[in-house]
Amino acid sequence: MDRAFSWVAAFPDEVWEHTFSFLPTDADRNAVALVCRSWHRIERLSRRKIFVGNCYAVEPAAAVRRFPEVRAATIKGKPHFADFNLTITDWGGGAGRWIQSMAKGWPLLEELRLKRMVVSDDCLEIAARSFKNFRVLSLASCEGFSTAGLASVAANCRNLKALDLHENEVEENCINWISHFPESFTSLVTLNIACLDGEMNVSILERLISRCPNLKTLRLNHVTPLEKLVGLLHRAPQLVDLGIGMLIGEGHPGLFSKLESAFAHLKHLKNLSGIWEAGPLYLPAIYSICEGLTALHLCDSSIQTPELSKVVSRCKNLQQLWAMDLIEDDGLIAVASSCKLLRELRIFPSDPHGLAQPVYLTQYGLLAVSSGCVMLESVLYFCRQMTNSALLAIANNCPNLTCFRLCIIEPYTPDYITQEPLDAGFGAIVELCKDLRRLSISGLLTDRVFKTIGASANRLEMLSVAFAGDTDAGLHYILSGCKKLRKLEIRDCPFGDKALLDNADKLEAMRSLWMSSCSVTLGACRLLAKKMPRLNVEVIDENGGGSLESWPDDCHVEKLYIYRTIAGPRTDAPPFVLTV
Amino acid sequence: MEGDRRCGGGAASPASVSSVSKAAERDVAVEDDVAAGVAEGEEGESDRDDEGLELGLTLGAARKWNPPPVRWSPCLHILTAKDLPSLASLASPRSPSASSVSSSSVTNLSGVGTGTKRSAESASPDVAGSPQPPSQMVVGWPPIRAFRMNSLFNQSKEHTPETTAVAIKKSVSKDQSRKDQGGRRTEMRNSMFVKVKMDGDPIGRKVDLNAHHSYEALAVSLELMFQKPTMATNLLTSFDGAKAMNLLDSSSEFALTYEDKDGDWMLVGDVPWGMFVETAKRLRIMKISDATGLSI
Repeated sequence: MDRAFSWVAAFPDEVWEHTFSFLPTDADRNAVALVCRSWHRIERLSRRKIFVGNCYAVEPAAAVRRFPEVRAATIKGKPHFADFNLTITDWGGGAGRWIQSMAKGWPLLEELRLKRMVVSDDCLEIAARSFKNFRVLSLASCEGFSTAGLASVAANCRNLKALDLHENEVEENCINWISHFPESFTSLVTLNIACLDGEMNVSILERLISRCPNLKTLRLNHVTPLEKLVGLLHRAPQLVDLGIGMLIGEGHPGLFSKLESAFAHLKHLKNLSGIWEAGPLYLPAIYSICEGLTALHLCDSSIQTPELSKVVSRCKNLQQLWAMDLIEDDGLIAVASSCKLLRELRIFPSDPHGLAQPVYLTQYGLLAVSSGCVMLESVLYFCRQMTNSALLAIANNCPNLTCFRLCIIEPYTPDYITQEPLDAGFGAIVELCKDLRRLSISGLLTDRVFKTIGASANRLEMLSVAFAGDTDAGLHYILSGCKKLRKLEIRDCPFGDKALLDNADKLEAMRSLWMSSCSVTLGACRLLAKKMPRLNVEVIDENGGGSLESWPDDCHVEKLYIYRTIAGPRTDAPPFVLTV
Repeated sequence: MEGDRRCGGGAASPASVSSVSKAAERDVAVEDDVAAGVAEGEEGESDRDDEGLELGLTLGAARKWNPPPVRWSPCLHILTAKDLPSLASLASPRSPSASSVSSSSVTNLSGVGTGTKRSAESASPDVAGSPQPPSQMVVGWPPIRAFRMNSLFNQSKEHTPETTAVAIKKSVSKDQSRKDQGGRRTEMRNSMFVKVKMDGDPIGRKVDLNAHHSYEALAVSLELMFQKPTMATNLLTSFDGAKAMNLLDSSSEFALTYEDKDGDWMLVGDVPWGMFVETAKRLRIMKISDATGLSI
């Protein structure tokens, strides 16, 4: 050991290990590992949690080898835009190789969280059988598995605490997979099956719930008739997080008071989510729990603003509200005056393709919330009109915003009053909200907004851009500025080769870049790939694959995904995803 | 910047008529009547701006406003006189949004950026017809997870008759401005993505069944997606036939099949469109030579 680092020996390894356990982020631990060999060794042997933001950035076997004592792993697969069908099916993101390496190298693994990956039933089976202490399985936006896979998890994971399935595409081939939890199984704390389509055998579910006294989160699936919900709720009065699936009402008189009393028993309820199809007449049944709610995710197609407003005005402690745009400006005004602790607002469009009459949700709703809710940090807002002055006011009202995602549904929509681009408005957001970490922009935007973002958005980590900009300069501003940018996703913008090549180094400092329907040519991709060996430059060829070498340099690249990796080109790419 | 050039006078002035027609530079024909609609809506505009700023500072002070409803006009569609009667009847006395609608339609048709290529294609054949939903031809826009879109669709499909009755009755009793929303439930259609694969093409794709109104429209979409120009006509002949026998004539190279809820593969075109959308789980474009053993 170098004399320069002899101080390391002043403390036994366990002391350093304990010290490192206080480091909050992986980035800190990575930094620590660079200090000297001893610290590197100590850190890697004591790392318990690992986060892999891009499953192709590193070989699974290498990760498992480097950190042999991991107990909790989070791995993400496909790029974010895959959610919107911009990648192709069979793009990749398979979890198989990871699961196999983990099964061999981390037998003591307790928690596994996968997002946007393709997980087969085999994977689930291997995981269920290999990890004896398996406690938490969380799959979000995944696909490729069926309820048969879930059945093997249920049957084999004796100490499972959490089964959290969030918006996955699951084949339903095993109707009573829930019955595979053995009678002796009592450890469940979280059960989220909201994404499953099939009918659930309610009596089996009831028995499961009854024997799991620690159950705190229960998110049911799909269609839950009122009667059945009442029965379930009575068995789990300790619930903190309840998802009602889709609640339908049968319309007979005694039901309302039953529902009301069932909810009244949930004294600890903090989160309520689900689709309320039981009609607005039943909605007052939840009034008794509103005051305790910190999160309300109510997606619905029949609740009109007046009823919804009555609910939100009772939710004095609400911190997180996700709702459909049916809440309208009036409902948001009610939120602004009642929910003073609101931190996160998400408004989704009920009618994304504009087929029905438009809802009365405009920039005023968001403006009202920004004005009334001083703690607002995170916004996702779908609307059809916006003005620069509203955005400026929002930025002034909420300088603490960390996440601002505005989607004006029709591309290229200008400020509807002045007809100007929304550069000034978004510019105000990035200049005034110094802690902004995530931003999605929309509407009519020129290169100017990118100049401002590049210059001012110093904490920005993720940026989503669509149908914006005039020239390559736009991309150049972003890549040459935005010091902390990690993920950039762009579609349908006139950005091209020059900005990419001029900022090649930046791409290695980022996790990934997605560009589709822009002006990138194959020649630039080739140059980039040559210059930056630690980047995978993947081109998706929708014409069915074929040899990349034969194509000319000026050939237009429709979909481009660039990410840094130490694993080299991926070996599981389908024939139409070509690494340049 | 382009935006500035386009908006000319900005807010409330008859000059906005000229700003609209200036936009005709961009190869878009806009009828004069649209400009008239713009002129109508002008009084409210300057008020609106002030109220907007007020609201930002003191909540509750400006409660008197009524947010202008965004009049939804088909934005991928060249506005003609035929559309205007409907615009006029819907327009409230203050509707500066009428101008925004026409401007944004103008914007969309101008083909700025590569992404509108597809939308321009869909706009051109459709000059004087009924309103078409604007965003349907742009893949992945608006950015809502396919999963969420499908859930929305299932949700509006599955409510029981009682709840529908309750919802509609309640909404009918409301005031005039809300009356439209009672019909929302039945009108509302959301996305229904299903996987589609073509024989010989390794790439699987997803198509939104609910973005189409007919088999013909679906055929056209699939043609665009798989870029086989003669495919649509081939598929269309198979729809008309509606019997397996007709498929097997040599002029038709492809057959479109779907997997239904029971897992059987059926020929597309036999059942009414609505029923098809509800039962289809997956699509497959088969080469005729492989089309043996299909259930009729």
